Amino acid sequence: MKHRVKTYSIERKQARYGFLFTVPCLLFFAMFSFYPIINAFITSLTNRRAVGRTWDFTGFENYAYLFTKGNGGFSLLNSLRATGVFTLGCFVPMVVIALLLAVLIMQLRKPGHSKFFELSYYIPAVLSSVVAATIWRIMFQPTGLINQLSNTILFTSGKDYHWLTDNGMLVASTIIVYFWKYIGYFTILFITGLASIPPTIYEAAIVDGSNRWHTFWKITLPLLKPTVMLVSIMAMLQCLKTFSTQYMFVQGGTARLPIDVITMNIYFTGIRNGYLGRASAMSIILFFIMLIFTYLQFSAQKGGEDVEY
Amino acid sequence: MNNQFVGKVKAGEIITYIVLILLVLFTIFPILFMLTASFMDAKQILAMPFKWIPSKEYFTSSSRTFMTNFVKAIRGNNNNNIFFTAMLNSLLVAITCAVTTVFFSALCGYGLAKFRFKGRNVVFMAIMSTMMIPFEAIMIPLYMVTRSVGLMNTLPGLIVPFAISAFGVFQMRQYLLTFPSEFLDASRVDGLREFGIFLRIVLPNSTPVIATLGILSFRNQWDNLLWPMLCAQAERLKTLPLYIAGFAEEKQTDEGALMACAFLASIPMFILFFTLSKYFLGGAAVFESRKG
Repeated sequence: MKHRVKTYSIERKQARYGFLFTVPCLLFFAMFSFYPIINAFITSLTNRRAVGRTWDFTGFENYAYLFTKGNGGFSLLNSLRATGVFTLGCFVPMVVIALLLAVLIMQLRKPGHSKFFELSYYIPAVLSSVVAATIWRIMFQPTGLINQLSNTILFTSGKDYHWLTDNGMLVASTIIVYFWKYIGYFTILFITGLASIPPTIYEAAIVDGSNRWHTFWKITLPLLKPTVMLVSIMAMLQCLKTFSTQYMFVQGGTARLPIDVITMNIYFTGIRNGYLGRASAMSIILFFIMLIFTYLQFSAQKGGEDVEY
Repeated sequence: MNNQFVGKVKAGEIITYIVLILLVLFTIFPILFMLTASFMDAKQILAMPFKWIPSKEYFTSSSRTFMTNFVKAIRGNNNNNIFFTAMLNSLLVAITCAVTTVFFSALCGYGLAKFRFKGRNVVFMAIMSTMMIPFEAIMIPLYMVTRSVGLMNTLPGLIVPFAISAFGVFQMRQYLLTFPSEFLDASRVDGLREFGIFLRIVLPNSTPVIATLGILSFRNQWDNLLWPMLCAQAERLKTLPLYIAGFAEEKQTDEGALMACAFLASIPMFILFFTLSKYFLGGAAVFESRKG
C-alpha cells in the first residue's frame, strides 16, 4: 500500500513537469494570439485612430461603414473581390498542375531524376516573395522578357500584352508570380501524400490489367481525395493571406485598385492612414473568412485519418 | 506484342519527361534572368530581343567599373550602405526565431507527448486553436501593443511575436509521441532531472524534425515583409525584404542594380537550400505528422 502511494506521487510529480514545460508556450500564445484577436475585435467596435488618445465605442459602425461606403476609393467590397479573384485564379491551377507534376514525378524510375525535378520546382519557393515579385515586375515591363516570350509562343510579333497596365492582366500577373513561387511547394506536398499510399495497391491494380490512365482515375485519385482536399485548402488559405506580391507591384508603380487584396487594404487603412478601428474590423472579417476554411481543413484532415489502405 | 508494349511505355515516358522539363524551364528561367540581369544595365535588360549573356563591355569598360550593379545595390538609394546592416538584421531575426521556435516548441511538445497531466488535452487544443488566427488578422493590435510597450523599432520587437509557432508545437508533439519512453525512464533511473532529460536525451535524438522546423521558421522570417514594415521604421533596423522594397520603390532605380540586390539577398537561402535540401523538402511533413 505504502509503495503504491509512493509511485503515484512520483508520477504526479513527473506530470507536473509536463505542465511546466507547456507554460512558456501558453503564456506566449495568450499574449501574442488570444489577447490580440480579442483586442482586434474590441478595437473594431471603436473609432480609434493612430493619432490622438481619445476614442469612443461606436458599436458596429465600422462594419456598416465598410460594407456601404468607399473607404477613400479602396472599399472593402473591392478588396473582397480582388482577394477572391486572386485566390480562385491561383489555387485552382496550382493544385491541378501540382497534382499532375507529382503523379508524373512518382512514375519516374530513376530516383536521381525525380530528385532533380523536385529540386528544380522547389527553387522559387526558396526566394523571398519580395525578390520573386521584383524579378517578375522587371520581366513584365513593356519591352521586357515576358512580352518577347509571349510573342514567340503565341506567334504574334511586337505585341505588348500590357502585363502591368491593363487591370485584368495586372491581376493575372500577380497570379503568375504566386503560382511560380509556390508550385514546387505544393508539388512536394502531393508527392508526400502520394508516397503514403502503399505501392501494393498499384501493383495489384497493374496485375489486374489496369493501365496507367485507368489506375490514376480509378485508384490513385479516390485514394488521394483527402490529400487533394487538404492541399487545396492549404493553398487557399495561403492565397487569402497574400500581401508581398501585390505590395511590391504597387510600390513599383502599378495601379492599386485591381490588386488591392484585403491584407493590403488593412495595411493601408490601419497603418498608412491610421484608421485603427476600421482596419481592425477588416481584420476580423478576414479572420472569419479564414476560420471557415481552416475548419474545412481540419475536417479534411480528420477525413484523411479515416482512410485505411 | 511484347515489343509493342515496350514501345508504348517508352512513348509515355518521353511525354512525361517533356512535360516535366517544360515546367523546369518555367521555374528556372526567372532565376537565371535574375542572375544574368544583375550583370547588365537597364538598357540591356529591357532590350528587344533580350540577350541572355551580359555584354563584355560590362566587365571591361573603364567607364563602368566592375560590378557596378552590386556596388549600387550595396550602397542603396541614399548611399547609406545599410545593405549589410539589413542582411545582418535579417539573419539575426531569422536565426533567433528558428532557435526559440525549436526550443520552446520541443519543450511544449515533449510535455504534451510524454506526460499525463490534468488538462493536457485542453492545453493542446488551446495551442492548436491559435493556428486559426492568422498574423494578418492580428497585426493591428500587435502593432498597438508593440508601440505601447516600447518595442517599436527594436530587434526584440521584430523577433518576439514570432518566437514560437503553434505548428511547431504540433509537429514536435507528433514526433515525440513515438519517442521510446523506456529511454526516458532509463535516464530517470540514472538520476537525470526532467529538464536534463529534455536537454540531453530528447533534443539530441530529434535532429531531423528540429532541422525541418528550424528551417521552416528561418524561412518564414527571412520572407517576412509585413511585420518589419510595421515594426521597423528606423533605417538601422530594416531587414532585407524592407531594404529591397525601399530600393524598388524609387521610380529611378535601375533594373540592373535591383536584380543585383535581389541576387545578393538570395545567396544565404541558396546556400542553405543546396546544403540542406532534404530538410526543405521535408518541410512538407504535414502528412507524416498527420499519420501520427
